[in-house]
Amino acid sequence: MDWRWDFTFEIVLPRMIEAAGVTAWATIASFILALIGGLILMLLKQSRLVWISRPVTEIIEFIRATPLLVQIFFLFFLLPEFGITLPPLTTGILAIAIYNSALCAEVYRAGFEAVPRGQWEACVALNISTYRTFRDVIVPQSLPPVIPALGNYLVAIFKETPLLSFVAVAEIMQISKLIGAEYYRFTEAVTIAGIFFLVMSLVAAMLIKMVENYVRKRIIH
Amino acid sequence: MNTKEQNSDKPTILFDKVCKAYGPLKVLVDLDFAVGEGEVVSLIGPSGSGKTTVLRVLMTLEPIQGGTIYVQGEPLNKMLKGGQLVPADKAHIRKIRAKIGMVFQNFNLFPHMTALSNCIEAPMYTKGLSRNDATKEAMNLLDMVGLADKANHYPSQLSGGQQQRVAIARTLSMHPEILLFDEPTSALDPEMVGEVLSVIRNLAESGRYTILLVTHQMGFAREVSDQIKFFDGGKIREQNSPAELFENPKTERLQQFLSEVLEAR
Repeated sequence: MDWRWDFTFEIVLPRMIEAAGVTAWATIASFILALIGGLILMLLKQSRLVWISRPVTEIIEFIRATPLLVQIFFLFFLLPEFGITLPPLTTGILAIAIYNSALCAEVYRAGFEAVPRGQWEACVALNISTYRTFRDVIVPQSLPPVIPALGNYLVAIFKETPLLSFVAVAEIMQISKLIGAEYYRFTEAVTIAGIFFLVMSLVAAMLIKMVENYVRKRIIH
Repeated sequence: MNTKEQNSDKPTILFDKVCKAYGPLKVLVDLDFAVGEGEVVSLIGPSGSGKTTVLRVLMTLEPIQGGTIYVQGEPLNKMLKGGQLVPADKAHIRKIRAKIGMVFQNFNLFPHMTALSNCIEAPMYTKGLSRNDATKEAMNLLDMVGLADKANHYPSQLSGGQQQRVAIARTLSMHPEILLFDEPTSALDPEMVGEVLSVIRNLAESGRYTILLVTHQMGFAREVSDQIKFFDGGKIREQNSPAELFENPKTERLQQFLSEVLEAR
């Protein structure tokens, strides 16, 4: 195999490290937006007002039933038609966030439904406000069981970021393709891309485990 | 048994033609009854007779479809607005609800909070007590139910009887005037029933609370109640003083029910 270390260290690594930053940023930003968006979608879907819950349910189904790549292209090429021109990275983060919001909404729903009805009833009987009921009683009980599932989405989002290379976001995959095309050498760039993804995935999985343990200790005794 | 004076002209609890249905299933049918201040009333009857539903609609856990419930003369599910009775808003319901406390069959303690935290959550955030004041009072209540030494235990570290006693302390922490007990000993192992009943007996004998008790413990109901109401098919079929009701059941349905329950023991 023709592998050149000088090329790897001088050309590939510096540019890939920069690209890894973009990938990390895209992952974290999409994940945080998806966590918030998922909560909002879930609450809207649970609404007692049918004219809110029905359309939201349909939208969630629509998002879940179409490929993410199509949605990225859709936002990238159609938003400008409506006069909204965003940088490719922002568009990409938005698309991934929306797609995963729909998935997170289902995870949250499962978590809330797992809290026994008696907990809500105790709060009513004690005249505890809706806000305090959620904050002190329902969320602390519904969050710990869904953290592993939400963590899986962090890793899933991370692995979805290469799709952003289709709209020329300078993340790891895009840069490795560019380097390959520039120097007619793909071996080093693509290998390094693979190693980067592997290492970052492992780090993310470790962080999730830590959060899980922390929450288990703090919230459930 | 203590006889209580009923000097108030308005009953503490009044059900006026109350109807409750789950879809086509009628659970309460034009239910009328009144309970005076400080009275201890037990509701007995076969399962599905609507006795638990009486407590649940009074606690506003479920809406009613017809009639009116009055608490100390004030309508619970309606309110006066511009001289007319309109459906109650949230603030009105919260105001009336503050007078009522409920103890559940399955305790419904908050599992992620210690016994003490369970008892200070509502006083702090609903009534606005400082943590210090709430803690002081909660400790008194836990002491009263004999669990001051378990204040920092989580529910999962307590026996069923202890959990139910914490739940009673938690209910009392909100200073209710009306106490609802929904089969408070049904989920307990037999050897723990006594400790919970003795706490309830003390509350009943203090005369400070108006109490509705749904129970299958006939002996206990007879001992603490001023009156017993026998429910069947969403209606009160018979009501009387404990001695009369148990020794002299008039309806055939009650005779049958009593013989079944007493036989089972």
